[in-house]
Amino acid sequence: MKQLHLAQVHRSLGAEFVPFAGWEMPIKYTSVAEEHLAVRNAVGVFDVSHMGEFRVTGEGATAFLQHVTSNDVFKLKIGGAHYSTILNERGGTKDDGLVYHLGEQEFMMVCNAINVEKIGTWLTRHAGEKVEVKDITMSTILLALQGPRAQEVLQQLTGFELPQLKRFKAAPMEAAGIQVLVSRSGYTGEDGFELFITDEPASNPARGEKLYNALLQAGERLGIKPCGLGARDTTRLEAGLCLYDHELTEQITPLEARIDFVVKFEKGEFIGRERLLEQKKAGLKRARTGLRMLEAGVPRQGYKLFKDGREVGFVSSGTFSPLLKVGIAMGYAAPELKLGEKISVEIRGKPRSAEVVGWPFYDPERYGHSRR
Amino acid sequence: MVKAGNYDVPEGLYYGREHEWVKLEGKLARVGVTDYAQSKLGDVVYVELPEVGKQVKQATAPKTKEMELGAVESIKAVSAVYSPLSGAVKETNAALQERPELINTSPYNEGWICVLEPGALEAELKNLMDAKAYVEFLKKLE
Repeated sequence: MKQLHLAQVHRSLGAEFVPFAGWEMPIKYTSVAEEHLAVRNAVGVFDVSHMGEFRVTGEGATAFLQHVTSNDVFKLKIGGAHYSTILNERGGTKDDGLVYHLGEQEFMMVCNAINVEKIGTWLTRHAGEKVEVKDITMSTILLALQGPRAQEVLQQLTGFELPQLKRFKAAPMEAAGIQVLVSRSGYTGEDGFELFITDEPASNPARGEKLYNALLQAGERLGIKPCGLGARDTTRLEAGLCLYDHELTEQITPLEARIDFVVKFEKGEFIGRERLLEQKKAGLKRARTGLRMLEAGVPRQGYKLFKDGREVGFVSSGTFSPLLKVGIAMGYAAPELKLGEKISVEIRGKPRSAEVVGWPFYDPERYGHSRR
Repeated sequence: MVKAGNYDVPEGLYYGREHEWVKLEGKLARVGVTDYAQSKLGDVVYVELPEVGKQVKQATAPKTKEMELGAVESIKAVSAVYSPLSGAVKETNAALQERPELINTSPYNEGWICVLEPGALEAELKNLMDAKAYVEFLKKLE
């Protein structure tokens, strides 16, 4: 089991650990609901160093990424990042994550912990001679500072003017006296930052520890909380963000997942393009669907969906929304289901009424990065 | 009160291997889930109570529906509540419908789940643990 560089720090903060994707990860420190609400109403900090990072460099880097990812890397300016997918030849999703353009011939891809080995093999297999792919996962600490007060916290630690750093932009800066790559992005639906400390040997996590503690200290009067994987899952679900192995798999295409914005047909050839074009032409047989319970009960992965007694789909992720105080889920169902339509979820043998809704599940004028 | 690590284990109760407690009240038995169970579940958001009158069997392996006293839903997961004794459900804790979090805040008192009329109390009690034995049982799990 892989240990986080900062495992001892989390332990001393009272973290409860669970195995996840080969890592021993904090699932919660106090309560998932408390940590979740800290992110929605104030700020929280997650250690997500289990995420994989690949550095892609060389003369052929841009062309290579154009070929192995579905979004348009040519349009990505230096200092920018975009969400993208890596597809198999059938158009199914091998992985999803952010691609950063860091320098003239330098990129970084952040991928899911469960896919690191698979993606490493895939990238190496497709990389030509003029591309170097390096897995830097084990020498990277990644902290996610998320929530409406995130900027206030980080600004106390850096001279960099954070309002200048827009969403999906990244810049190297010094924070708490440490050199860190700061990206304005995250996986909670909120404004926030992802902080990469690279080349940190596992034997010496001192810089990561210093930054993590500095964030907790700077955020103390704003109500910052250390947050675990539990709150990471509930916040991303409320925001309607896909999780690999739930909403995305080798069998599910980004069109079915309704993340069409990461598929740029007009850029030309990329792995999976032909099959996606065929699927687009033929029409979808199933599509990602949001659900909100109208009755008690929490929908969970694998539960079946029914409409007028007929099975119409399944739940890919579900939880109790700590913000809305009701069960919410994403799943795959017939694409003709309309917003507001009533369907039922089979919860432990009983049909429970739910409504088809869009995402995010919260009111985006009150919560999330576009809140007023 | 006995402690097993951070978990409370009151004396005078009987404990099942599925982390349910039993409190004998005359001929009846009050049942709930232990502090350890609520802590592992995390924030409880719904409690599916058993129906009054339901006949249940004492939990053994393998588990069947007849051993279930409803279910507890937390944010993270759903867990069946397994009956520590055989018998009939006489009463359920209606307060849990409105305040499921009582399971977290008061697992041994306000968070009780139901009252059973045991069918084979004497024979079945020896399958349960006392506080001391349950503390030992928890130590092996941690």
